[in-house]
Amino acid sequence: MATADLRLAITAGDTNLDAVALDAGDRIVARVKMPRGRDAEGDLHAAVRHITRDGEVRAARISRALLGSHAPLEAVVARRDLCRTAVVRIGAPLTAAVPPLSTWPADLREAVSAGEAIIGGGARFDGDAGAPLDTDALAAFLAGIAGDAQTVAVASVFSPVAPEHELAAADVVRRELGAAIPISLSHEIGSLGLLDRENATVLNAALVGVAAQLAAVLRRALERHRIDAELFFGQNDGTVMALEPALRFPVLMIGSGPASAMRGAAWLSGVTAGVVVDIGGARADVGILVNGFPREAPAPIRVAGVRTSFRTPDVISLPFGGGTVVAPGTMIAGSVLGEQALVFGGETATLIDAAVAAGRVVLGSRALTLRQRRTLAGALAPVDAQLADAVDRIKRAPHDVALVAVGGASGLVPSDLPGVDEVIVPGDGDVAGAVGLAIAPAGGQADRIFRNRPADRDHAIAAAREEALARAIHAGADPDRVEVVAVNEVPLAYMHDPAIRIRVKAAGPRI
Amino acid sequence: MTTERLRIDAAALPALAVGCAAVGAGGGGDPDLALTMALLAVGEHGAVPVVDVDDLDDEALVMPCGMLGAPTIADERVWSGGEGRTLRDMVERLHGRRVQALMPLQIAGADGVLPVTWAARLGLPLADADGRGRAFPGLHQHTMHLGGVAAGPVVLTDGRGDTIVIHLDDESRADRLSRAAAGSLGGVCAAALYCMAGARARSAAIRGSVTRALAIGRTIVGAEAEGRLAAVVAALGAKVIIQGTVVDVERAGGGLPRGAATVQSPGRDRRRRVRVELQNEYLLALEDGAPCAMVPDLVSLLAADTGVPVLTERLAYGQRVTVVASPAPDVWRSETALALVGPGAFGYDLDYTSVSDGASGGDR
Repeated sequence: MATADLRLAITAGDTNLDAVALDAGDRIVARVKMPRGRDAEGDLHAAVRHITRDGEVRAARISRALLGSHAPLEAVVARRDLCRTAVVRIGAPLTAAVPPLSTWPADLREAVSAGEAIIGGGARFDGDAGAPLDTDALAAFLAGIAGDAQTVAVASVFSPVAPEHELAAADVVRRELGAAIPISLSHEIGSLGLLDRENATVLNAALVGVAAQLAAVLRRALERHRIDAELFFGQNDGTVMALEPALRFPVLMIGSGPASAMRGAAWLSGVTAGVVVDIGGARADVGILVNGFPREAPAPIRVAGVRTSFRTPDVISLPFGGGTVVAPGTMIAGSVLGEQALVFGGETATLIDAAVAAGRVVLGSRALTLRQRRTLAGALAPVDAQLADAVDRIKRAPHDVALVAVGGASGLVPSDLPGVDEVIVPGDGDVAGAVGLAIAPAGGQADRIFRNRPADRDHAIAAAREEALARAIHAGADPDRVEVVAVNEVPLAYMHDPAIRIRVKAAGPRI
Repeated sequence: MTTERLRIDAAALPALAVGCAAVGAGGGGDPDLALTMALLAVGEHGAVPVVDVDDLDDEALVMPCGMLGAPTIADERVWSGGEGRTLRDMVERLHGRRVQALMPLQIAGADGVLPVTWAARLGLPLADADGRGRAFPGLHQHTMHLGGVAAGPVVLTDGRGDTIVIHLDDESRADRLSRAAAGSLGGVCAAALYCMAGARARSAAIRGSVTRALAIGRTIVGAEAEGRLAAVVAALGAKVIIQGTVVDVERAGGGLPRGAATVQSPGRDRRRRVRVELQNEYLLALEDGAPCAMVPDLVSLLAADTGVPVLTERLAYGQRVTVVASPAPDVWRSETALALVGPGAFGYDLDYTSVSDGASGGDR
């Protein structure tokens, strides 16, 4: 009997579902790329069936299943399946000038909020208590929302420095609403900047149900094939997390698609520093690799109209892909599925037809593009110009860099772009996202603030390293092989007795 | 000027915030939080009238106010909104007179927008003036100091209800004592100082600051993409020093953001490089070691695509920017003023040359 030595990685993007199976030696033993259907479970079932149909991939050999899902983002955008969340902010009388959720789109706030309160408490920047935690006010608020709230989000002033009041508030919530209610604490989710961190925390609490549903759907799809695998989920920094943290921190899945595509591009090409262009049917994402991981976008970011601050890959999205319809005079007139393209015998001139006609890529039948030669002739110039501009903006460096092109329509990328010394189109790049998930380490991050004094600094760095490592291990990393991969220090402005913010990222292979 | 009454409402606020950032020479802090607060405050309490200083009673008390300390800390501990009332009540007790109008201590960045929230909640107007016409780091670098107005008593509050009043025997200690107090109040606090009579404000403050910031902001927000930069440059009364990419950012350690950025122009012109030095604000632009603009003139970096000013704390490698310089308000160009805010005050051994006298560069 064969050992359970395979891992199955599936990414569900907005149009396609990609799946790969890798063996212990990281060899791709099966792969599939298929259009998404109507329901998530049916899609997953079809992908697993396809992968296991190949004789080499028997279900019993699959020990781990990794999923990169679009579902959390889609749920927020569609205001669907979101948990009713009670929002507790700790800091009164401070912070009252901007009440919780007061900057949210009204319909999203309506869908999510089971009530909001600002209660006394919170810390100072140096970690000293600013005011005592008002547990009576908290208990009174919780009594009022007890029937409605499915989850609770807690954000306290300066909790990234001193999380004590959030932890104490969580105890009160469990006492008042029962030990089973999911609680999201802001110091575990975001960094400095209360309002953006609170928003991320509330989004996280609202997504707890979506994560549970996602895990259940994946579990059922696997069980139909008698696969008993440990589950992992893609995170937005290019690492993965195990089931338990994924259920607690679903907001970290938002942005995992571009992140795992970039990780896959790095792994397939061997490039650890360079630009990645991921071109699908209707969109092109341009990002950049630093030490083999996607560079983080500068805060703040917006998710479905909510300003927030959790880490997410720095990506420039361009509004075209292989399926973009080419019409004389305009470049973008919507997009179509692959089979409608000329090269596959369809009737619609698309950008991928233009790339085939120009000889950039060999795909389908080039002869079929000839009748629309004139329409296609000028189609690639604006694509090249937009790609060149995006590459220049994302790379932020005067010297030339390598460019890795992945995704189903990577053939659109010209072999020659300004600022690029080499264009690499790796094999299996069309399923780079799934590959990126399959090879991802488990990761964790920590964010701390300390006074700039030598003793405090050493202590804070040690504490932040320890916390990041613990989170990576919690996410599933092997405790013997986990390591710190990045340490960042940023001074806080305008302080004569300065404080420093330190951010540590740790990652390691999964156990 | 007595008939036209400007009111700051929700429609005007986003433009005011951008305009305040634009006149800050990169300093004053990100106005985003202050804008969010002000939008909520005028939504609840109504628009804030802006009064010309000529329309103030001679004896009316004007309360300049703003923030002291680290804007980054303010973004975490977020204001209560009641700070303006605490300051006003204490100032009225100390001076024995009613406050008739608030005034931004400096029009730059977050400080230009914060008093709108407090004014809305107090039902008071905002004087169309400020104490700097830009951003400066030092407590004495206000035109009121030049005009002989005492900084003290300095009133500080943390938003939790703790208030510190500093009665100064010696004005020169105002900066050190106030900053120490701000530290003890949690790193950032609301401050009222240089309180003065309306008659005094007419000569000691920079006039028209609020309307000017609003006009500049409207230009940035409203202009068509094509020609936006030219419109912004014209609104600032600035001249273009260089357009290009930030190819180097140096930051010194410590709490105060100090450092320099190098901006390189593209294409055939590639060898042109301008170095911009900063300490909280952009202070000095140098080309081939020769200064082409210097403090107190305003050196600003504008994002190439939007015309939106790039604050010093947001400066990053690879940004596409236009470096512009505009002349300082006249009041800062006397010999006495230059001793306070000229290049020497920031440690540069340079004689001030106004950007408006220079012959190089683009259009005025």
